[in-house]
Amino acid sequence: MKMEEMALSSLDNSKMEGIAQDILSELVEDACLGLCFEVHRAVKQGYFFLDETDQESMKEYEIVDQPGVDIFGQVYNQWKNKECVCPNCSRSIAASRFAPHLEKCLGMGRNSSRIASRRIASGNNTNKSESDQEDNDDVNDNDWSYGAEKKAKKRKTDKNSNSPRRSKSLKHKNGESTHRTPKRFPLPIIHFCLYQSRQCSCLPLPNNRILCLR
Amino acid sequence: MSKEAQMRAAINQKLIEMGERERLKELLRAKLVECGWRDQLKAHCKDVIREKGLEHVTVEDLVTEITPKGRALVPDSVKKELLQRIRAFLAQHSAL
Repeated sequence: MKMEEMALSSLDNSKMEGIAQDILSELVEDACLGLCFEVHRAVKQGYFFLDETDQESMKEYEIVDQPGVDIFGQVYNQWKNKECVCPNCSRSIAASRFAPHLEKCLGMGRNSSRIASRRIASGNNTNKSESDQEDNDDVNDNDWSYGAEKKAKKRKTDKNSNSPRRSKSLKHKNGESTHRTPKRFPLPIIHFCLYQSRQCSCLPLPNNRILCLR
Repeated sequence: MSKEAQMRAAINQKLIEMGERERLKELLRAKLVECGWRDQLKAHCKDVIREKGLEHVTVEDLVTEITPKGRALVPDSVKKELLQRIRAFLAQHSAL
């Protein structure tokens, strides 16, 4: 070892540089060889060309790199302000809120069926009863669309009361609605309506008749 | 054995013993993946294989086709960094 150390110490700069270069090229060759082995194995095992398809579909799904569009070449944010029409209550609702609305509207989930049917009932009764104004405030579905949201910015706290979770605590604050809502209307039922020849929600009346709300 | 060859053998021995060779290899691998060298070479491999036919490709073919290209494609920045580390190693161990 002693002699080797001496040999090392006697290196001049140009020799050292040459050795460094050699070591580097050795390393690079190693890397190449590694890659070759890998590719060869992949070819022989048959998974090298797995990600290839025909030219046509390659072109079709090429990544688009242009300003203003995403990688599929579609306009970014184009769905942001779209409104969808609810198939159940036929209101138009901002796309981002459609899912939560539909959940409540169709009456899925724990609490929501009651709330949704109440909303439908009072929403349809808006023009019939003026004394209902207060109640309508937290059941009004206009809050679901973008236009209404902009107008109703200042009523943000009210708006939140649309969510079924909050409605309970709101009821206690808003003492009026506590006793009024359940007594005022019989709950509408969903059934096959003879007036509209389809499923719809109608109010059962005490005399065994049914009042269609539409 | 000439003095030069003896010296090289000693350096190589040292590189391996200290584990520096493995470290350098790993560093180079990471850098090459990072800069896209690997993908470029893989694309080249695809061309070579298509040309020769899937069944007739041998490792030797690949090595002879790929190695020159691989050497040429290594970016200067990567080379520089590696050389720096190798020089540092040499300096450290010749100073003893």
